[in-house]
Amino acid sequence: MPPDDLARLSIAEAGDLLRRRALSPVELARAHLERIQRLDRDLLAYITVLRDEALAAAAAAEQEIARGQYRGPLHGIPIALKDLVMTRGVRTTCGSRILRDWVPDTDATVARRLADAGAILLGKLNMHEFAYGPTGVNPHYGTSRNPWDRHRIPGGSSSGSGVAVAAGLAAGALGTDTGGSVRIPAALCGIVGLKPTYGRVSRAGVIPLAWSLDHVGPMTRTVADAALLLQALAGYDPADPTTATRPVPDYRRATQGEVRGLRLGLPKDLFFERLDPEVRAAVAAAARTLEGLGAVVEEIPLPKIHHAGPASFAILAAEATAYHEPYLRTRAAEYGEDVRARLTTGQFVLAHQYLKAQRARQVIRAEVDAVLTRVDALLTPATPVPAPRLDEREITMDGVTEDARWWLIRCTRPINVTGHPALSVPCGLTAAGLPIGLQLVGRPFDEATLLRLGHAFETASPLKRRWPALGP
Amino acid sequence: MASVSIPLLQALTQELSGIPASPGDLAIAATQLGSQLDGLARLDDLELLAVEPATVLVPSPEAPHAA
Repeated sequence: MPPDDLARLSIAEAGDLLRRRALSPVELARAHLERIQRLDRDLLAYITVLRDEALAAAAAAEQEIARGQYRGPLHGIPIALKDLVMTRGVRTTCGSRILRDWVPDTDATVARRLADAGAILLGKLNMHEFAYGPTGVNPHYGTSRNPWDRHRIPGGSSSGSGVAVAAGLAAGALGTDTGGSVRIPAALCGIVGLKPTYGRVSRAGVIPLAWSLDHVGPMTRTVADAALLLQALAGYDPADPTTATRPVPDYRRATQGEVRGLRLGLPKDLFFERLDPEVRAAVAAAARTLEGLGAVVEEIPLPKIHHAGPASFAILAAEATAYHEPYLRTRAAEYGEDVRARLTTGQFVLAHQYLKAQRARQVIRAEVDAVLTRVDALLTPATPVPAPRLDEREITMDGVTEDARWWLIRCTRPINVTGHPALSVPCGLTAAGLPIGLQLVGRPFDEATLLRLGHAFETASPLKRRWPALGP
Repeated sequence: MASVSIPLLQALTQELSGIPASPGDLAIAATQLGSQLDGLARLDDLELLAVEPATVLVPSPEAPHAA
């Protein structure tokens, strides 16, 4: 099989070939590394490429599989990590100048779990500095380019993760999501992004942006692949006391279930206000597709969700500034301008405003929980707009002009406030060829239903396996 | 959008928080805060008197329909 075709295999497809010894992990890793060498000078998805380490790990995986010590569906699969996931002996920059040369002496739990499952680490991925922004614009390492249009942002903060997976520079990746940072680049780059329930996946060893809003999640080209990664990541971790002790279900089996009879709610409040017309049409078509598969779609009210934006602002700003205060006192000049200004803002969020936001959060979450007793999942756009241009600072729609950042996070950040699981799945392309994302939001710890819905939609979607034109 | 005074923010950084900030960053902070203050005040509409804060969001209670 030609190397470019190997790099286009899904994790499930490659894993099947590796298990049957019809494909060598070394051959698969080489195919990805060659593609990184050829394409990443323009795309800027990676901050650090671990060529020698990846080939050595792939050779070891090959020997293990040959000896019959097959570890499972991630054994020999080349993946990459957002560069705020701590990796022992490998620099972890957080996309910053401040941590440019920082080499952790331990692995994050999620990095260790993927390594234990046999995944091959190709490298560390570009991101918005310290994950504090939804565009992926990075003044220190260059801005990752959207593979569908290199004059447009990939979305962030997990920008390199979105680009690497969309361009076939990794079979899968990890991102983190504090206001949409997995789902936004997934939507803008045309891939799948899953923000699990708060407490489902450990955050231990992942540099925080805001402790109570941060989630770690998989970014892949198919929903089934997201299930495979989640299977390896999910579960209690004594190093992260917010992880849940409840058992981890079989997510792979979950993708095979029927969607007939599932009830889907369309929350018109907030999520469907002021949408790009092509996004609105694609999401409406997605709802019809799911109806055609037997799901029941109904509009539902969610009036309190409007309060999630201000609550998110207060919590995120205060927690981020609390974490960064030591650097702000001593190394403020080393931050990029946008992130330093946001961190400066956080010091003016008053304690009572922060606590009011944390109280509001309980009320907003209760409203979403109540709605999810009537329906099995919510269906919304992932972002109100497709990928903005690199220089597009403001977006105007229906007479309302706002910072592009606020547009990007409007549909995703409420779900960080509530902690529910949410999945972004590609659901269309604009006339200009830009991806559009569909967001599915589920009950706490019911990622299985989201994966089932996402897989059924993806299978029925005409978009299946579309690739950006990346040139020679 | 509410108006936030840059000299006020300057005084707060110098006299209360002790976190240094440039005039340019304070101007952006004033704009960002001003755009959020109305929304933060409207959180009172949620009738929060009997609600305790989720200072660290613990996993939601067992959901009856969750897998």
